[in-house]
Amino acid sequence: MIERAPISADPSAKLNINVNGREAVLDVPPSKRLLHVLREDLGLTGTKRSCEMGRCGACMVLVDGKAVNSCLAMAYQCEGKSVTTIEGLSEGGLTPVQQCFLEEGGYQCGYCTPGMVVSVTAMLANDPSPSDADIEEALSGNLCRCTGYGGIWRAVKKAIELKKEQTG
Amino acid sequence: MAHSHEALLRSPYVWHPICAREAWHLKQEIDAGAVFVAGGTLLRTQWEAGLVTFPAHLIDLSGIADMTGIGRSDEDGRGWRIGALATLAECRSHPGLAADFPLVKEAARVIAAPAVRNLATIGGNVLSRTGDMATALLALDAELLWLNDAGTHSEPLSAWLDREREGISGAPGLLLAILPSAFLGVSMISKTRRFCAFHKAGRREAFIPPVVNVALNVAFDEGGAVADIRIAAGGGTMIPARLAAAEALTLGRVPDAALLAALHAAVNEEYAPKPDPFVGEAYRRMTAANLVAAALWKAGSDARASGEEGEPCC
Repeated sequence: MIERAPISADPSAKLNINVNGREAVLDVPPSKRLLHVLREDLGLTGTKRSCEMGRCGACMVLVDGKAVNSCLAMAYQCEGKSVTTIEGLSEGGLTPVQQCFLEEGGYQCGYCTPGMVVSVTAMLANDPSPSDADIEEALSGNLCRCTGYGGIWRAVKKAIELKKEQTG
Repeated sequence: MAHSHEALLRSPYVWHPICAREAWHLKQEIDAGAVFVAGGTLLRTQWEAGLVTFPAHLIDLSGIADMTGIGRSDEDGRGWRIGALATLAECRSHPGLAADFPLVKEAARVIAAPAVRNLATIGGNVLSRTGDMATALLALDAELLWLNDAGTHSEPLSAWLDREREGISGAPGLLLAILPSAFLGVSMISKTRRFCAFHKAGRREAFIPPVVNVALNVAFDEGGAVADIRIAAGGGTMIPARLAAAEALTLGRVPDAALLAALHAAVNEEYAPKPDPFVGEAYRRMTAANLVAAALWKAGSDARASGEEGEPCC
């Protein structure tokens, strides 16, 4: 729970945020989009800018473990929270989800891929054995204009199988 | 990166009240220059599209504990209180709420996508007036709990939407919670079976505003006749409404071919959508009529099946 002053509106207040495991204190306007905080203030350009209205999912990140469109979230809404970007997911090397996207051709131009990987990661963290309907719902906010989704679908199914094997 | 003084000056003030009364008083003090913000997902798109001016003051509601959570509310445990700040993701996944109000769960499922639902709140969706949740809640006889200078008071969602439809615009306070009706009167009658359905038709399957949405909440008696029913419909820029004439037509009747044809005609007559350049009024009317008639036919079939199995379904 974030401790807040009862009523305050200091526009010069700093943003305290944990990004990919590192604490940061940023001097940003409170209504600045998280997307731009990540890309412009922290140089984390793996999070992609596209529709900027929450429709395409290219800017997907995890906020306290939940998938969130960073183009919709404002800086002040992330005060005291932990954000994980695509860079954070792969700090220890490719994740199994990323490996499956590579092996199954789950991308072409690659622009939607970080968001896809983040959404799939969030889905599997919540439910390691999703049904086809669950997968469709989980990815309903991620658009790809190259693949026709065939490769992405195969990658997700393979990632699920891999997770099952790993967990026995 | 440090931001220029100019950039900070362009940024709105963001206020963080910690109780609802504080938030309400703040809004009164700042008045037109301030906007309540919860998830902010719809507001953000409106600001970016230039539909509304970016406000000078944002009143962040997220720190108000009394406006969060989903739970049973009254002494006998049958009533429910959905905090206005409950996210649509919470409405989608709350097991107890889904058991008592599958309409809420189903409506939440078809609003936007999971990541948006992690931010967006049920209060925001209802206050947008045209969201899917308002249609579902109309079919549940939901009430809205408001806070204003006079204190807290509840009123039927339908009453507020009626005022909005008549152009008496604006929320009469800060929306604290939504109170769906736990049971309609006849549902306590032994062997009454209740069914519900929520359908949304859009220009694509997911993540799209509704061209038409309909919600059905119906109870059948032992003979398979309609004992009680709520039908609501919305879509596009229309403020959703109950279809009272269509409801009345079905009472006491078994949903056979004759009733379904009459219901189809009644919905086509009563439903009052607003056309837009992409979808005309006649198409919306026919779609709503098809969805409602099909939903009642399926509910009647399910009721007969559950009756044969001797198990009430609700």
